[in-house]
Amino acid sequence: MIQNDIKQSYRLEFHGKGSEYFAIMIVNWLLTVFTFGLYYPWARAKQLRYIYGQTSLNQERFHFSGTGKEMFRGFIMVVLFYIAVLSVYFAVMVAFESPLWAILFIYLAIFSVIPFAIHGSLKYRLSRTTYRGIRFGYRGDRMELTKRFFKDLLLTVVTLGIYGAWLQVNVRRYTHENMRYGEVEFSNDADGFDYFVMNLKGYLLSIITLGIYIFWWQRNMFEFYINHMKLSKGDQKMDWKSTATGGGFFKLQIVNLLIVAFTFGFGIAWVEMRNQKFICDNIIMDGDIDLEALTQTEQDYKDATGEDAADFLDIDVM
Amino acid sequence: MINSSLEAVYFNGQSSTSKRVSLSIDSNVRELRLHSEGEIPVVWELDNLIVDRYGNILEIRNNQLDGALIRVEDARSSKEIYQLLKRKGRVDLHTRLLDLGLLKIVGVAFLLLGLFAGAYFYLLPPLAERAATLLPESVDNEMGDLFESEVLSHDKTDPKKSALLQEFVSKIEFNNSKPLKVVVVQSNEVNAFALPNGTVVVFSEIIDNMKSYEELAALLAHEVSHVNNRHSMKMICRNLAGYLTVSLLFSDVNGVVTVIAENAQLLHTLSYSRAKEQEADEQGIGILFQNNINPHGAVTLFEQLERESNVNIPKIISSHPLTKDRKKHMLKIISERKFTVVHHGNLKRLFNQLKSH
Repeated sequence: MIQNDIKQSYRLEFHGKGSEYFAIMIVNWLLTVFTFGLYYPWARAKQLRYIYGQTSLNQERFHFSGTGKEMFRGFIMVVLFYIAVLSVYFAVMVAFESPLWAILFIYLAIFSVIPFAIHGSLKYRLSRTTYRGIRFGYRGDRMELTKRFFKDLLLTVVTLGIYGAWLQVNVRRYTHENMRYGEVEFSNDADGFDYFVMNLKGYLLSIITLGIYIFWWQRNMFEFYINHMKLSKGDQKMDWKSTATGGGFFKLQIVNLLIVAFTFGFGIAWVEMRNQKFICDNIIMDGDIDLEALTQTEQDYKDATGEDAADFLDIDVM
Repeated sequence: MINSSLEAVYFNGQSSTSKRVSLSIDSNVRELRLHSEGEIPVVWELDNLIVDRYGNILEIRNNQLDGALIRVEDARSSKEIYQLLKRKGRVDLHTRLLDLGLLKIVGVAFLLLGLFAGAYFYLLPPLAERAATLLPESVDNEMGDLFESEVLSHDKTDPKKSALLQEFVSKIEFNNSKPLKVVVVQSNEVNAFALPNGTVVVFSEIIDNMKSYEELAALLAHEVSHVNNRHSMKMICRNLAGYLTVSLLFSDVNGVVTVIAENAQLLHTLSYSRAKEQEADEQGIGILFQNNINPHGAVTLFEQLERESNVNIPKIISSHPLTKDRKKHMLKIISERKFTVVHHGNLKRLFNQLKSH
């Protein structure tokens, strides 16, 4: 069956409603309080499940099948690790009678967790994401990612932060190149130098324009992320393109700010829905990959430790 | 029993190709069957089902068959199946609560929030302070020692003045629960504070502004009263209990890291509650009575601080609220009590030496 070069149409949509998400957040809050915080992983699972479930491609919804139980195991691991780190921190502080070594240790601990968290989070999150019954997956190697991360981190320190742009792009490229959806392979052709120039320009222009340029800088960052994303399955391809504008980002965030300010923060549910909708509304996909002719290829992966560590560090991989 | 005329879309979890099927549910044998033309029906046990509802759409998954999905798009059938699964206990507590509707959920949440707020403001502080008194004094000392080096490392201390002030302190009976150590810091900031290990830090500017040794005695008596009553520890326990409760309520797991960093500076910027200040004021003035020192020193000290606050806003004012009210309170105490004043020549001599350096 040859069906190359048959152009497909793709449409990404977000259907989430602030009121529904707000209800989920309130119920999460109630249950978390009544369980003295232990419900937290289940609450997170509920929120992720809602957001994924309200995202559709060609009217077929995504699904997050991760469970609170899985994330609870990871949660316990992370909490234990955290307690261990804190104990060492205080031990070092008392032993050296100066906070310097202790603070150094904390930084070291946090930085060594980052690649672990990115790897684990991607592996778990993607394996638990399905679309049309087919799993996503991450095939990256933890050691490889850690090596690359620390090499780039060292260069970033040596170059006083300048290499940070390359670090981000390199991590993104490596992780994207190891993402799968069924037989579909992801890739990324971003270049660290471009990213550096874009950020330098954004930084300088934001200062000159007293911050107004920030929205256009955000537009550029979003575009950089989206436009370098490539999907392929054999000869078939799919390209992503951002349609977001600086004005769009401006409007999104000003209204978000007003919502949060006038609802004493309770409007955060609506804000999150607006953000998701903005993302989905501003991505167009173009290519000839037939989404209805894929088969299950990726392994199941249920260890959520990395996912929870990423949440703890406030890293969002997706 | 829901009969087999029910239309649904089915993904088998092996391929992304969808298939039209018809469903039947036999609630007696707890099974859901998928019929497609020319094939043997696929059987899903009700006990393995997970459902998600999106408006009129119902998505059914099987926890034994990862990926596989049945979607029912007809509103009536969706509702029927959902109700059946709910009766069969396949809908979790979270979703059941959501089914109550937003209004009821928000109502319950507000009620609970009110209860928590009440407990937070009226129940938690005394409990936390109670907890503080259960801690051994050695904790105060270690904490004080730890932060003493931290706090004083930023400032330039004056060893000569410190020695003079130490001698000044030794001439007064403070009823102190632990040995006192005083440190004078060279600074043009008007400030003084006590650490829980019994170290009292006095900034040189505040001494320079003083008119009499009685004022200095009043200041020290006030700060020592904070130490005697373990106010620092009590406030730390209060703050920590408050923070832990709030972060629990809003499950701000990420915020925990920040708090550890913030707490390192806690003692430096610690402000006592009004009740604590009043307690220290009253006991401080009690120390003056006991030592036959003129208690009006406390009043003139406040006047100095009041004047000072017009120029710049020093820490001691911002952390000691409502100076005027406190001054009034002191005057009331003084007017209600009989006391004798003795001239303390040695204190005066030391005070003059402190000022002249």
